[in-house]
Amino acid sequence: MTGGGVALTIVGLSIAAVTALGAAGARGLIMNPEAYILAGRSLGTLFTWLLMAGEIYTSFTFLGAAGWAYGKGAPAFYILCYGPVAYVISYFLLPPLWRVAKRYGLLTGPDFFAVRYRSRPLGVLVACVGVIFLVPYITLQLTGLQILLTIAGRGAFDATVGVGLAFVLTALFVFVAGLRGLAWASVVKDAAVLAAVAFAGIWLPCHIAGSPARLIHRVLAAHPGWMTLAPGGAALGTRWFVSTVLLTACGFWVWPQSAAAAYAARSDRVLQRNAILMPLYNILLVPALLAGFTALAVLPGLRGPGADQSFMLVIAQDYPAWVLGLVAAAGCLAALIPASAQLLGAASVLVKNVLGDWLGVATTDISRTAATRWLVAGTAALALWLWLHERTTLVNLLLVAYNGIAQFFPGVVAGLVWRRATAWGVAAGILSGLGVLAAGVIRQAAWGGLNAGFVALLVNLTVCVAVSLVTRPAPAEHLEAFAQAARTTPPQASAGTS
Amino acid sequence: MNVRSAARVAAAAVPVAALSIAIPFVNRVQLHAFGVPFLPVWIVAWMLLTPLCLWVAHRLEVRT
Repeated sequence: MTGGGVALTIVGLSIAAVTALGAAGARGLIMNPEAYILAGRSLGTLFTWLLMAGEIYTSFTFLGAAGWAYGKGAPAFYILCYGPVAYVISYFLLPPLWRVAKRYGLLTGPDFFAVRYRSRPLGVLVACVGVIFLVPYITLQLTGLQILLTIAGRGAFDATVGVGLAFVLTALFVFVAGLRGLAWASVVKDAAVLAAVAFAGIWLPCHIAGSPARLIHRVLAAHPGWMTLAPGGAALGTRWFVSTVLLTACGFWVWPQSAAAAYAARSDRVLQRNAILMPLYNILLVPALLAGFTALAVLPGLRGPGADQSFMLVIAQDYPAWVLGLVAAAGCLAALIPASAQLLGAASVLVKNVLGDWLGVATTDISRTAATRWLVAGTAALALWLWLHERTTLVNLLLVAYNGIAQFFPGVVAGLVWRRATAWGVAAGILSGLGVLAAGVIRQAAWGGLNAGFVALLVNLTVCVAVSLVTRPAPAEHLEAFAQAARTTPPQASAGTS
Repeated sequence: MNVRSAARVAAAAVPVAALSIAIPFVNRVQLHAFGVPFLPVWIVAWMLLTPLCLWVAHRLEVRT
């Protein structure tokens, strides 16, 4: 068998094994959407951790972080910073969100908007915008898959066909497994990613330079200032860095699939414990960046999207095919599992908020589950289409997705802390934020070095407050009951929090 | 807001500030720690300290 054959066989077997595991973990076909989408709101600390981590550590971690460390240097450190900030936000934000979701039986992120602001159209708007910005995130996973399959096949293989196949498999996986299956598959995926990243980010630099610190010396000798940010308003300077960290942290928890992971927890205490422990998991990103620096020391000269391939190319060049196969398999799982969760998040949002609540179709459990499955396939096809037409770096795809999704943040926070906030205010805020983003893309505006999404978020917040003050809020008794629900832990949840 | 809940918010705000608005100042520090420039060392240190700060905030929570 050729080198490419060995690596690809390992990749294929790993994907098949994890799919089987996920299907077994789901324990058969479940027709109740609460069970399928939210695993029956029964996940304890360990599974909630795994599910959240599974969706957070994706092929972006695996390739994109290393790619930016390789291609840009210090700006890549933003990837280390936004996680801890987001977990601090989650410590305060997710428990009341969970309590409200439990009390009102919320299934999706947009449900929160529809119920809090007593506005079905607002729920539909949030659902549609959410799915639109999920597509580039799913495309990011596809791009990651394509890079891994091309390198694992050593060029002797049409990666487009491979990506098509892998995505059919992902859609099938979501069909069968639902959320609980995903949590199971995440266990295997995270172990594999951890091993692969440790190999590429710790063992590799030790092998090449003696120690990670010596490797950093070597990088700095060839590229002075590589680990220092440009000052102030320069491109990717400190102003960009701070605004991007804050924007990304705000966007972190308002993804459709993040809402599902939070609602699926067994109790609000589980979410608090998670928030405390999760920053430790973020350490996984450090070897990913080191892998990028290692590649820069060994194999300089890759440009643009090529930087995303950097450390895989080093492994392909210097190590036997089975090592390459194992690392590529871990990377493929890091793309497939989060893509599955994102597909499930997008599809369940469309079914619940657009088809069910708005158009009044797919209202029984059986038809809802069926529609969710069909929309998983449809969304997968859309992401595949975007992947075929738009090639850019992984970080760029992620930043586009985050810029859009973070516009939900003011509506979520205001919904919990400011009773005067209205549906019109939140809708006007989201739309003006998206308008600022579109204007920035069209005019290539620089906004004084700030991240365009952050500027959009500030405009969004201002418009939201201003419009809320001149429009009528939901009835006082509804807001009182809602605030009460956000404060009070339901009795059955406080009992079992082990 | 009483003293306890103010302390709780402060404990949580420290890592947020350290990893966002403090970065432009940290970026100017010319020190090296363990042979590594100060900016990545600072960031990794705060990744480890964030759980500690959140745990302190958690302990300060007023149980109702």
